[in-house]
Amino acid sequence: MTRQEFLARIRGEMRKTSGLFAASVAERPAHPQRIADTLRRELSERWPETLEVFRREFERVGGIFYRVPSLAEVPEVVGALARERGARRVIAWHPSALRADLSGPLMAQDLETHLMPPGGLPEAERHGLRAHIAEADLGLTGVDLAVAETGTLVLVSGAGRPRSTALLPPYHVAVFDRTALVESLQQLGVVLESWHEGQPPVGRGGAIHFITGPSRTADIELTLTRGVHGPKEVHAIFVDAPFVG
Amino acid sequence: MSFRQRAASALNDASLQEALTIATTKFIELRREAFDGFPQGERLRDRARQIKEATLQQLDHYVERLVDNVERLGGHAHYAVTAEEARDIVLEIAKRGGARMAVKTKSMATEEIELNEALTRAGITPVETDLGEYIIQLAHEKPSHIIAPAIHKTKGQVAQLFARELKREVAADAEVLTRIARAELRDKFLRAEVGITGANFAVADTGTVVLVTNEGNGRMVTSLPRVHIAVMGVEKVVPSMTDLMIFLAILAKSATGQKLSVYTTLVQGPRRPGELEGPDEFHLVLLDNGRIKQLAGPLREALSCLRCGACLNVCPVYRQIGGHAYGYTYPGPIGILLTAMLHGQESVKELAHASSLCGACADACPVRIDIPRMLIELRQGGVESKTAPWAERVVFKTLGRLLTRPALYRLSARLARLFQRPFVRDGAIRRLPLFFGHWTRTRDLPPVAAPTFSERWAELERES
Repeated sequence: MTRQEFLARIRGEMRKTSGLFAASVAERPAHPQRIADTLRRELSERWPETLEVFRREFERVGGIFYRVPSLAEVPEVVGALARERGARRVIAWHPSALRADLSGPLMAQDLETHLMPPGGLPEAERHGLRAHIAEADLGLTGVDLAVAETGTLVLVSGAGRPRSTALLPPYHVAVFDRTALVESLQQLGVVLESWHEGQPPVGRGGAIHFITGPSRTADIELTLTRGVHGPKEVHAIFVDAPFVG
Repeated sequence: MSFRQRAASALNDASLQEALTIATTKFIELRREAFDGFPQGERLRDRARQIKEATLQQLDHYVERLVDNVERLGGHAHYAVTAEEARDIVLEIAKRGGARMAVKTKSMATEEIELNEALTRAGITPVETDLGEYIIQLAHEKPSHIIAPAIHKTKGQVAQLFARELKREVAADAEVLTRIARAELRDKFLRAEVGITGANFAVADTGTVVLVTNEGNGRMVTSLPRVHIAVMGVEKVVPSMTDLMIFLAILAKSATGQKLSVYTTLVQGPRRPGELEGPDEFHLVLLDNGRIKQLAGPLREALSCLRCGACLNVCPVYRQIGGHAYGYTYPGPIGILLTAMLHGQESVKELAHASSLCGACADACPVRIDIPRMLIELRQGGVESKTAPWAERVVFKTLGRLLTRPALYRLSARLARLFQRPFVRDGAIRRLPLFFGHWTRTRDLPPVAAPTFSERWAELERES
């Protein structure tokens, strides 16, 4: 059936409806980017409270939270948690996406670190790389938004930030600063609206992922079990000195 | 087997009874805790319902906008009026892509169109990757709950299924079983040419298809295979990201008591330039299958359903008989309505009575669908279209006559008092003869009182 026929079918039935109650959809911000900017300014004044709520909720869903003064301490934290778990092979977002190049210091922690390429690759190489990601123990990513209300990390796919970095390895480690924090799902909605105003920036990918704790299931006798298909553990490292900007 | 027989055998299945009680009790508790800690929940439920209704009132506009945006992002939209058309569309896309294996996420829409059977016939192996769905696929069964498809299986039964499939000993432990499924399915995610999903929502403004999962299989299926096909009931469209957030705030709380499910995946067309992963092709199949007719039909309200499963958990009938006894894809109170939507009112002439009309489903529904009202209407429809049993129609018609004629009513009450005598035991009528026996098989009937209310009333008036 064609689009026109399908729509005509819907319209035909819509015409027959009667006695509908008055209802409205949610009001969208008229200028999302402007509103999102205002929101960010407001949030920047109360980020310590937001961070505290995020930490509580993130831990409640089974996440493991760290707080360090600066980026310089991140490799140490990653090294320690990797050693504890016997993880050696690390894949990381490209420095342009992570906003930091940690490969040197991570290597110094005895972690075999591979940075993801900054852009697309020819078909054959893409498949080779995927096999590589599938064998990694730990995926290191940035964070686009951290939602305090639900303890959620929001990651947008794109150039230098392959989708499976935070999916295939059993351990996911995400690094972020105060600029990522929002308080609520409602605020997340505002930011999402602003991301979709006008043309998407070059390098933006085709998927946005909200991640709320490690992969889990309760499909067998409602017994909570972690690490079904996605990561068994999710670690979030908060860096006090902003680096994302 | 009739519904009555299926229900009876479910009631006699001790392990099913235990599994149902444990699971539904737990779900109810989790849902209550989630909303107790969320004071704005009640207001958001009203908002969500409003948004659904407003969207349905302009469904043509929002579907058109959704399709425009999906195509702008490089995706393809397809339109299926029937289940068969939907299957053909999916098969054609899969075959064109040279697919031999398709990995799937849990999707009631693809259950509804019986896609797995069609894929198998076409030589494409469908692999269910949600753990619960994987289990019931191994068992060759249908899901028994909208969000927990293998709710009826014990871990011992799951271990036996895995052992049979893998031809080795498997421990009956949820942790061990989950680890085995992870390893088995990981390889399939990486090899499958096609990924098939449903959709929890689709955002018209941005051409976004939204998938909500806990295990991560939704992310696998939308990231790894070369082709992604999403099959979605046409009523699942929501206008904007702002609207979406309101639904996300109540969906997981109603379903599993989580504030959000672990993974909410927003899919916006195929892989983009510069991206390493994601499908080359993205297809959205918009499914009618009886939905569009209900825009002006008696089941219109059911088009707002989010498929959270909350009404199943609280339903005293579902809690006793489980999902399979209903006999169709969608079980529980909402399932009866959806079955009528998909297969016609005739198909639910028995099921429309599988409810005590207690109203627990309407209370639990995140968008406050008045399920009991529609069940009553379906029963009425059964009487009017003469699909209800002959005896039932005669009895209720007679009762209707009596109730509207006071003199006749008083006379028959006196007569009933006389004739009921042999049947009253311990203050109740427990068994009636002939076809009346159907009614008393599962219920007690209060006997006509002596004196009757109207007799006592008359007496009181005389005294005063």
